[in-house]
Amino acid sequence: MSTFVDVNIVKYLCSCGKRHPVCRLYLCRHCLKLRCGDCVQHEVDTPYCPNCLENMPSAEAKLKKNRCSNCFDCPSCGHTLTTRATSTSVPDPEDPNKTTPKKMYYMVCGFCRWTTRDVGIQDKPVASGGWEDLENKDTKQIFSLLETYEKIAQKEKAEKERKKYVRRRSYLSYAAGMDKYGMVSVAAKRKQGNLANLSIKENEEVSFSMVKPSETVKTFDPLPESIFTEPIQLDKMSTISQRHASADFQPGESSALYPLHKHLLIRRSLRCKECEHNLSKPEFNPISIKFKIQLIALHHIPEIKIFSLPELNLKKECKVVLTLTNPSAYNCSISFLQPDPKEDNFSNAKVELPKHPIVVAQRDDAALYDDGSQGHEAFKDDPSVIAYRKSNKVGFFMKVKPQNPDEDVKLSFLLKHEYRNTAIALPSENQEPQIASLQHQVFINLGPPKKK
Amino acid sequence: MPLLEGLSYSSDKNVIVFEIGAAYTRCGLAGEAGPRCIVPSQVKNKVTGKVEKLWDFETVDQLYENLKDFLFNLYFRHLLVNAKDRRVVICESILCPSAFRDTLAKVLFKHFEASSVLFAVGQVDCLLGLGTHTGLVVDVGYNETVVLPVYEGIPVLKALQCVPLGGKSIHKRIESQLKETGKITTGSKEEEPLSTVPDCLNEEILEDIKVRCCFVTNLQRASQIHKVTLHGEDQSKLPLPPPGVKYPLDGNRLLLVNGGVREHSCEVLFEQDNEQQSISTIILDAIINAPIDMRRDLAENIVIIGGTSMLPGFHDRLCVELYHLLKNNKYQNELSIKLFKFHKLLTKENCACWLGGAMLGALETLPSKSISRDTYLQTGKLPDWCCLSEETEEQEKATARS
Repeated sequence: MSTFVDVNIVKYLCSCGKRHPVCRLYLCRHCLKLRCGDCVQHEVDTPYCPNCLENMPSAEAKLKKNRCSNCFDCPSCGHTLTTRATSTSVPDPEDPNKTTPKKMYYMVCGFCRWTTRDVGIQDKPVASGGWEDLENKDTKQIFSLLETYEKIAQKEKAEKERKKYVRRRSYLSYAAGMDKYGMVSVAAKRKQGNLANLSIKENEEVSFSMVKPSETVKTFDPLPESIFTEPIQLDKMSTISQRHASADFQPGESSALYPLHKHLLIRRSLRCKECEHNLSKPEFNPISIKFKIQLIALHHIPEIKIFSLPELNLKKECKVVLTLTNPSAYNCSISFLQPDPKEDNFSNAKVELPKHPIVVAQRDDAALYDDGSQGHEAFKDDPSVIAYRKSNKVGFFMKVKPQNPDEDVKLSFLLKHEYRNTAIALPSENQEPQIASLQHQVFINLGPPKKK
Repeated sequence: MPLLEGLSYSSDKNVIVFEIGAAYTRCGLAGEAGPRCIVPSQVKNKVTGKVEKLWDFETVDQLYENLKDFLFNLYFRHLLVNAKDRRVVICESILCPSAFRDTLAKVLFKHFEASSVLFAVGQVDCLLGLGTHTGLVVDVGYNETVVLPVYEGIPVLKALQCVPLGGKSIHKRIESQLKETGKITTGSKEEEPLSTVPDCLNEEILEDIKVRCCFVTNLQRASQIHKVTLHGEDQSKLPLPPPGVKYPLDGNRLLLVNGGVREHSCEVLFEQDNEQQSISTIILDAIINAPIDMRRDLAENIVIIGGTSMLPGFHDRLCVELYHLLKNNKYQNELSIKLFKFHKLLTKENCACWLGGAMLGALETLPSKSISRDTYLQTGKLPDWCCLSEETEEQEKATARS
């Protein structure tokens, strides 16, 4: 579990220069580089409603302002509203003296018990849909303003274009002024023939009428006298988050809250910014948790975890046991290198790394359920280096000598391993997978040294 | 399916409009009548897990990281659009610090790869939402109140006025008043003064008290209150306070917010400080500082925007107080204005700037007015109204060419 819980202890260096835990990284199979959330391109894949889990085409989502038409959120607490049925009696159309029961529906919040009846919304005869939305009465005025501005903008743009043309014409009139060579008629003909088509018809003024600007008022309504005498009821006043949830109306009182259409979510796909290959692509169906493409680093890069930590005594050699996990389907040989001391400003302890490469067994899902010890004999292990072996994991010793009493003990090293790239090879053509050697810098924070 | 999607993307790419305010951020698409969402301008730090306010940054790098996370959330949680190659309109305050603009531009161009960004001054573009060119824009925000006269679409910078009064100063006033007079009750125990329970107030609670309990009182009562609180008259001369409120702090504690707090806390906006400045005086100061032939037009086109102006009673109080101040000696000699007129917004006060930006973003002229990514990557600079060097350079080049 330490892969996902204490993630900030062991970090890998991303290709963009930032340090991230391995579970937050991706491996681009084409660039063979680690990528983090900041150096990939996020793309919107498919919008879907998180409540009814239905896909919505992005054009439709755009039209509906990214909200589901069937599901609603509680305007008071944000929980999803559920529909409830009641029966009321309505007068029988055939016999006015008799009544017949009729099913009516309203919405209720299961969390804060807000109902559509609280705010005086009529029950509806159909279970889903039929809930009208509030209409913003100023929208019309806003759009008529916008229309006017659009016309002005068009005119402005046209005038700019015309300026280009005017320059040409002035050139022509210059020619006309020098009527020594009888060029006027030629020029005029040419103007009629070619350029007139290009020009904007000057007489045809783009007609627009400026809408009248907004009204001004001289005074505002004063506060009602009751505010000074009557106690206010807090629960009748809406909070600022309730007001902002319906940005168009921002009701000040709870009685004006109106059910909110549920906001859609999206599935994101990730793309390498350099080679533009996909790093992660979810399946189309929002119910599915599978991916079409998923190149998270955890599936490709050997993972380092801290297995056990001895007392970290200053200036003394301490044996730290680290675990190496091989996620790939082949035995992987992993070697350790010291980083360039010039570039390494992280580590503050002396480290003795294993000198020889360590071979880690392949990942075998079946072996997880099998406590057989077949794998062990295959490797000749030096007991001073290897602490234990279990399926695709190896525990190994690393000798650390803390130097600084005031800081956490930190170390960094390079992890070198081979990677069989199956992306380029086609298995149908019996091509051998390309074998690449990858190198990552790992940063480990072992915590504070022991105080004397 | 993917083919159709591709087509719809290329045909019309919606322009994104952001207004990153000091307290709240509004974001949405251009050409719409209101923002898609209003969210607090804060972000949760991924490493420390603490909520950090965007504007409380120590270094530009910290701001860069926070803006990146914040905009990511807006793009992929609220707007659900691809960020790459998209045009963006930013509505900024005229007093927006350069460090913030530059970092924002860097995040948008380099990280999100926006194709162009238009930086629009919110106090000017809000007039677009009204259909007018001239107005005295009073922006009552969170940190400060800015008054900017705009004449025929041109901001009169020399008359720009601002005071550090806004939502934040109300919060501070509520906190100090509660610490003085506030009492806490629990189910069984007697009332205790608030000062015995440390750290039970935070910005969120203070804001909620402001939003749900406080109001701006009328001038008549306010002048009585000012006589007592500022000039040290006897407490008994205070007007009868409105009823108090029992405000639930958590499961078992109630905070008694008395009527005094409800009524007096917003007075911080109108009490004149040591330089005799308040929200209402700077409006008159702005008119005085504007050229004499503009003054009447400005006074008859006052536009009040900004979230703090949504407090109940604010508009009426401001209006009454402006007339009252005219009788003051200082203004009587300098101003001959007899009439103030106020514009009625088509949207809520806190979205007025956003709406103007959304209208700018919907026009065909947007590409010619904004900075394209290519230009930004070449120059690495943003044009700014307060920095004329670039424009003069360009002019020099132009004159050299001709």
